Amino acid sequence: MIVCVAVVGHQNNPLYIQSFTEADDALKLHHIVHCSLDVVDERVNNPKKSGPTLNETFLGLLYPTENYKVYGYLTNTKVKFIMVTTDLDVRDADVRNFFRRFHAAYVDAVSNPFHVPGKKITSRTFAERVSTIVKSFGLNAAG
Amino acid sequence: MANLLAQFQSIKSSCDRLVIAVEDVNDLWPNLKKEFEERFPFKSVFLNNKTRNPVPVDELPADFILTTDARLRSRFPQEQLLFWFREPYATIVLVTCEDLDEFKTILKPRLKLIVQNEEREWFIVFVSKAPAHNDQATKMAKKVYAKLEVDFSSKKRERCCKLDMHGPDSNFWEDLEAKIMECIRNTLDRRIQFYEEEIRKLSEQRFMPVWNFCNFFILKESLAFMFEIAHLHEDALREYDELELCYSETVNMAGRLRDFGGMERGDDQATLLDPGKKALTQIVQDDSFREFEFRQYLFACQAKLLFKLSRPFEVAARGYSFIISFSKALALHESTLPFCMREVWVITACLALIDATASHYKDGLAAPDMEKEFYRVQGELFTLCRTKFLRLAYLIGYGSSIERSPVNSASLSMLPWPKPTVWPSLPPDASTEVLAKEKMILQESPRPKHFGIQRKPLPLEPSVLLREANRRRATLSAGNLFELLDGRPNAIDGSVQMSPLPKVNAMSMSRTYSSPGNFDGSIDRPMRLAEIYVSSEHALQNTISDVNLWKSLSSVKEFEQKYLDLSKGAANNYHSSWWKRHGVVLDGEIAAVYLKHEKYDLAAKLYEKVCALYAGEGWENLLSEVLPNLAECQKILSDQAGYLSSCVRLLSLDKGLFLTKERQAFQSEVVRLAHSEMERPVPLDVSSLITFSGNPGPPLELCDGDPGILSVTVWSGFPDDITLESLSLTLTATNNTDEGSKQIKSSDATMLKPGRNTIILSLPPQKPGLYVLGVLTGQIGQLRFRSHSFSKGGPADTDDFMSYEKPTRPILKVSKPRSLVDLAAAVSSALLINEPQWVGIIVRPINYSLRGAVLHIDTGPGLRIEKHGIEIQKLATVSPNAANSDTPQSSEKDGSPVADEVKQLTLIDGRIELVEWASNITSVLWIPVRAISDELPKGTPAGAVVSQRQSVVDGLRTIALKLEFGVSHNQIFEKTIAVHFTDPFHVSTCVSDKCNDGTMLLQVILQSQVKASLTVYDAWLDLQDGFVHAGKGDGRPTSNFFPLIVSPKSKAGILFSICLGNTLVKDEIKELRPDSILNIRYGISGCRTLGAHSPVAEEPIAADDDSQRLTFRSALVLQQPVLNPCLAVGFLPLPSSGLRVGQLMTMKWRVERLKDLEENMASQNHDKVLYEVIANYENWMIAGRKRGYVALSTKQGSRVEITILCLPLVAGYVRPPQLGLPEVDEANISCNPPGPHLICFVQMV
Repeated sequence: MIVCVAVVGHQNNPLYIQSFTEADDALKLHHIVHCSLDVVDERVNNPKKSGPTLNETFLGLLYPTENYKVYGYLTNTKVKFIMVTTDLDVRDADVRNFFRRFHAAYVDAVSNPFHVPGKKITSRTFAERVSTIVKSFGLNAAG
Repeated sequence: MANLLAQFQSIKSSCDRLVIAVEDVNDLWPNLKKEFEERFPFKSVFLNNKTRNPVPVDELPADFILTTDARLRSRFPQEQLLFWFREPYATIVLVTCEDLDEFKTILKPRLKLIVQNEEREWFIVFVSKAPAHNDQATKMAKKVYAKLEVDFSSKKRERCCKLDMHGPDSNFWEDLEAKIMECIRNTLDRRIQFYEEEIRKLSEQRFMPVWNFCNFFILKESLAFMFEIAHLHEDALREYDELELCYSETVNMAGRLRDFGGMERGDDQATLLDPGKKALTQIVQDDSFREFEFRQYLFACQAKLLFKLSRPFEVAARGYSFIISFSKALALHESTLPFCMREVWVITACLALIDATASHYKDGLAAPDMEKEFYRVQGELFTLCRTKFLRLAYLIGYGSSIERSPVNSASLSMLPWPKPTVWPSLPPDASTEVLAKEKMILQESPRPKHFGIQRKPLPLEPSVLLREANRRRATLSAGNLFELLDGRPNAIDGSVQMSPLPKVNAMSMSRTYSSPGNFDGSIDRPMRLAEIYVSSEHALQNTISDVNLWKSLSSVKEFEQKYLDLSKGAANNYHSSWWKRHGVVLDGEIAAVYLKHEKYDLAAKLYEKVCALYAGEGWENLLSEVLPNLAECQKILSDQAGYLSSCVRLLSLDKGLFLTKERQAFQSEVVRLAHSEMERPVPLDVSSLITFSGNPGPPLELCDGDPGILSVTVWSGFPDDITLESLSLTLTATNNTDEGSKQIKSSDATMLKPGRNTIILSLPPQKPGLYVLGVLTGQIGQLRFRSHSFSKGGPADTDDFMSYEKPTRPILKVSKPRSLVDLAAAVSSALLINEPQWVGIIVRPINYSLRGAVLHIDTGPGLRIEKHGIEIQKLATVSPNAANSDTPQSSEKDGSPVADEVKQLTLIDGRIELVEWASNITSVLWIPVRAISDELPKGTPAGAVVSQRQSVVDGLRTIALKLEFGVSHNQIFEKTIAVHFTDPFHVSTCVSDKCNDGTMLLQVILQSQVKASLTVYDAWLDLQDGFVHAGKGDGRPTSNFFPLIVSPKSKAGILFSICLGNTLVKDEIKELRPDSILNIRYGISGCRTLGAHSPVAEEPIAADDDSQRLTFRSALVLQQPVLNPCLAVGFLPLPSSGLRVGQLMTMKWRVERLKDLEENMASQNHDKVLYEVIANYENWMIAGRKRGYVALSTKQGSRVEITILCLPLVAGYVRPPQLGLPEVDEANISCNPPGPHLICFVQMV
């Protein structure tokens, strides 16, 4: 289950962060997303390590912990998408697909002429779309 | 097999170096042993690895063992093969011989016997005992050695070397070393090949039932061990890696249920770095090993090799993933393992790994990025350890001591509870402990947050422990549980992400069941929380064998100490790695502990770091969690500036993050501090809280030097109204950076409402340029705040932490100095002199309002302002019709409606205030003036060239004007206007006819000089002495001709008939006039917008009124006829040739008295005449008396000559000097030649 998705701006500022847990514990997910930026930074700043994936947007698993997984995705404009899932058995392809759709939704949202670049995304449509994508990810993974 | 394994283990432990066998044939070894062993270890040698590639080995230690030694003798051949690695790698045969025969007969056969074993790598060391001075012996030794070489060395391989015991032969040792190495290399190659072959054979059987992992392991480890003693660590490591891979395959092979292990006392302490902790024989299970121990063993072996390879960072990295994967394996077997075995093992493993790697790690050992990675892994290990430690602490009831921070929540709330098959039950005699725990639960109260902030605490548990523990107790039914959980159905739906029970609830429940005497640990009823804690504690005590770890969990204090150590360890390592955020966040956790223990200064420092991190990247939700804590520390530390700044930052966070009540608390803190407690003013940046912007629209435009009023929008982020004692803004010129910025102030206290406020600031005059808003500063009590951030007409975007970079819009434009107004004379043509006339001054504002302008009027000499009111009217648009029209009536008709609006103004002290309506339009100010001239205009002879210039200059008057205008009369415009006044006519005369009777017709030509039509009503001539009117006597022309209208610039003529004669009687001599006076009564009709016009009257008068008629008087000089003059001046002719420039010449005039000087005209100097030579000194140089008296008799005909020496200075036609007689009237002089004449001079050759 995806518990949190986030869009982080190129200055590492949160643009959109949404948790999908019932409990009132969004803050811990904020923390997870924020700390995962360390890993993104590390990969971006150490091209040696990232090697062939340098030109790839999908950063893969950022954060192998025992209990949850954090995946990252980095656009050309250095906007990061972060996804936190409690599924410990996730296929990379599913995650890639998820990020692609998420990216598309983001692009649509920021293409809105009333959206100020670099500002938080407040679009309700975007939120609904993201929530749909998140839900369908769960289905795909189950099926 | 177990037997073999045990043997293998013992062999391994007894053998740690390569063995080199020494076959001491001639008992030489005791003498040589010391010298031989000094060669060890071999330095910088090359060995071949598995792939036959040479690998450099820095140091290779080895042992020499005599073949007669027990260690080499007591082996069975079968063992030898399996444990081949311990067999000698080279055999040195030590021989000496001094006699050739002896060699042949004894030594050679013996040697042959020794070396016949092809398995061995051997070579012979021939020791020559011959002393250096004994040539005989030396020679013999040489011979024997040569023989030896022939017999044992082959072309392919040298197998002999010679040691001279008494002779210098330094080459020997190098030779020896080379030979030993050659042998070792060869042996190693062969043995590797052997093991490889064996392993390959065994590997092929892997999927057969006969497969035995232990055998495979012995072979593989033998090979690995051989590599290890050969110091080929890299290769040894590879073997262990392969072994691990193979083992994991074996373990994962389905179908075999194996014992996992880890059930023994002490197993909770990780042995992942100590391969010898447990004998392998103890962990054999069937044909393989127990996973729990064996995997740790393999890792330990790998770690050992990696440490030998000086790669502690790799140990750490591998170790971390090993711990993670091993922890998963432990989780699979958690039901069979002791309670919390997994957590305890991870803690001990992490700590062991951290210690070992850190002690092996030296700075600079690895590349910088590797180093960072190492520290990161260390940090990860600490974090992992910390998490598990927290979990254990929570289970035994220290949950309330754990900060419910995002970090802890993230790591704990997603970490499942331990899953023992049955939750440990309460030990029978634990009632006192349960009581103690209950007491602890009751006493715990969440630490109140500063500012009265109340937040739902973040969960530290994945689900309610109470429920989870009771669920795992076998006999509990779901029904009981339902009752236990107070009938909340969602509590038992099994969802992991269930919201945790609030602490208070849990407490009240435990009280409900708290009845003394019921502590028998009955499993029939659900356990209470305190009981769970106690039972967990007891179970853990059984699990944990590490005394130190148990001590850390024994009390809250110890727990906190350990917690602090682990957090610090993690944070410090993260700080040295790439993962700065992780480090800083953990600093926040450390700070929380410090805060709890009232070490506020330490806590504040750490919290500042955390806040800076979150604020820097705009993570406000997280910031709102720690910032109140920082504020609390700062308040307690009396760091007023910091505390204020924190309050302001709290206020500037997103409004949704705090309740209004809380925000009001922040504000009241700010206000309270600002007004009361601070002694000195404290500066504070409130950029995020108070923002400002200019009003939308184009910038305020001001002219140079004008003050203005600037309206600025200020957004206040305060939740309530706030009073600012002062407020000022700086303006920064965009074009002029070195000028700095200027401050404009709001004079009085300002009240800022929440949200948008409009502030009016008065603006002093600024220099020309474009200005943007700079900084907003102000004061609240002792608090001096400043704000740099601009808002775009909306509230500050708090998430936009880059707001400083916003391009700013110019707010004020001060234009360069330009003419703002123009004053000009409305009429360029001349006005009537000596008459009150309207002077028009056009006041033309140039895109600038003249509201309230004051005009100072200062007339020059010869001009005065009449008493009449001054009029102002709009300047009529000049249409062609209006320009052509002559009459004022027509101009009034054609004028625009405003033209009618003539307003009377009053001149007070030389100043007039302009009317309001004239402030933006061009208007004309009509000032009644009168130019005063006492001189009587003079007529000129007709045809004479009269320069108008003199009269123009005479008629010129000036009016100095000074206009003060602008908002505060700051603008001044000064101009002096010239107004031209003139007489209506210019009069010229000529005698048109001369009659025989002496009557002359004097033609008086009147030329109109004004742009108005003049009407002559009457004209008469008062003649000068010597002339009389002919005929009727009053000299008026026929009145029928009047009125005579003279159009502008046209001429009119009047004829007067006069004759010579002296009508004067003696009495009237005194009134003798030198000039004739022409009197003209005339009227004028003109428009003031064009030029001269009828004089300003105080009261309106009818147009044909007689009193409007004006009188013009002009003096005429009538020349008496030629015969009449008394004196004649004649210019005597000059020589006709030779007039050259620069040549002296004499000029002569003859003055002749034409008639007797009359007595009555006489003065003292009757017989003298004053003369004066007038010359242009640019043309002439005059020598001699230029002025003086000459004697001239009063008799008629007397004459005198006046001579002057002259020097002409220029060539061409020049006017000669003239002789004038100043004391004699012009009319009495007859000149010859009569007019001006010219003389031609040629250029000097």
